Amino acid sequence: MNCLGVEQFPDYKVPGVQHVDFSPYESNGGSIVAIAGEDFVVIAADTRLSSGYSIHSRDQSKLFKMSPKTVLGSTGCWCDTLSLTGLVKVRMQMYEHTHMKTMSTDAVAQMLSIVMYNRRFFPYYVSNILAGLDKDGKGAVYSYDPIGHCERATYRAGGTAGALLQPVLDNQIGYKNQNLPADQLPPLTKERAVAVASDTFISAAERDIYTGDSVLINIITKDGVEERKLQLRKD
Amino acid sequence: MFLTRSEYDRGVNTFSPEGRLFQVEYAIEAIKLGSTAIGICTNDSVVLAVEKRITSPMMVPKTVEKIVKVDEHIGCATSGLMADARTLIERARVECQNHWFVYNEAMTVESCAQAVATLAIQFGDSGDSDGASAMSRPFGVAILFAGIENGKPQLWHMDPSGTYIKHCAKAIGSGSEGAQQNLQEKYTPEMSLKDAIDLCLNTLKHVMEEKLNETNVELMTMTTSKKEFTMLGEDEVKKLIEELV
Repeated sequence: MNCLGVEQFPDYKVPGVQHVDFSPYESNGGSIVAIAGEDFVVIAADTRLSSGYSIHSRDQSKLFKMSPKTVLGSTGCWCDTLSLTGLVKVRMQMYEHTHMKTMSTDAVAQMLSIVMYNRRFFPYYVSNILAGLDKDGKGAVYSYDPIGHCERATYRAGGTAGALLQPVLDNQIGYKNQNLPADQLPPLTKERAVAVASDTFISAAERDIYTGDSVLINIITKDGVEERKLQLRKD
Repeated sequence: MFLTRSEYDRGVNTFSPEGRLFQVEYAIEAIKLGSTAIGICTNDSVVLAVEKRITSPMMVPKTVEKIVKVDEHIGCATSGLMADARTLIERARVECQNHWFVYNEAMTVESCAQAVATLAIQFGDSGDSDGASAMSRPFGVAILFAGIENGKPQLWHMDPSGTYIKHCAKAIGSGSEGAQQNLQEKYTPEMSLKDAIDLCLNTLKHVMEEKLNETNVELMTMTTSKKEFTMLGEDEVKKLIEELV
């Protein structure tokens, strides 16, 4: 073997020795659904933490309360979730000390995007959905890809069953392809948002082995964050 | 203060036995040689006015720039060493843009003043921390920050010691003592924009050596209705001066 004029030793095949690739990522599963209303936002996530066919935990919340008006839902590689949410909490605390106010949901959304893009070439392997009330008190949902692209939406599903849940939301919340005139769309109530979010998880638990056990629902209004829990199938 | 002068005024990092940093105090004195700048903050507007010293008829007055835009919602008036002022203004602009980039929101006036103050007190550092070369002396500049924040006008003043304080009305520069006195007597928070402008111009008129005209004064306004940095043109200033009582 000749590389740049230097004679190299060949790669000897040694019997019984395996070459292991660097694989720092792991998918620990889990799904998130967030639905924004006029003056509230609902965010829900299941509580199962798994790895392949093994279940690590049946009762792990994937929702992180960042401020009285903002909740971050994060799934994917659990260690990356912990690292990222920890970093965001630290950045929010620093912001509070420097600027003497709590970060708004919109500010957290932009900062999260930048924190994630800073790891463009070794990304946090996470699926994030940020829910909160914006400056005008309206419900806001922000969704992200693993390298930090951020988009504001009114409803979004993410995580392992994201592709399964999004069409349900498109139909039930977005009224897509139903040929309804814009002024005839029924207004979204808090109760209906919670009911739809719960139903999507019941459906997801049926088909996705990484989603199940129970679902935690956070309802964010101007009065604070209300927490609810619903049991899902556990197999 | 100069009576107690000793070798303690040599280094910027050494306190005198009485607990003073002479170089910083001298820098504050340097401001008093600068041109007068005035800021007034009322309930629905904030006004900045500065005198421009036109030392020669051959000078092009427009090139003396003492009121500058930092961001859409923040403007600054400076007094003292103009070269130092540019360094600080540059920092203010970068910090505002960076805040917008990271948080997608306008920086508060206080945070902007704080960011500039952080740079202003780095004169003693060796300069290794951020790679920039160190400033060997305090900046000889005082700055008035005017801005609109959450729909409310604000005025902040920062001096070479890095102290920043919110004011209703503040004068800096050579005529600051007389000007401040005048502001204290005439200022009310309920003043209209026109009254605030007139108070600024009248105060400048009192403390300036030259006769006030449209070329030797700069004027900026920001109101709660139009939340933007607005420089007044020469003809507008001329009209305002003519209307002065």
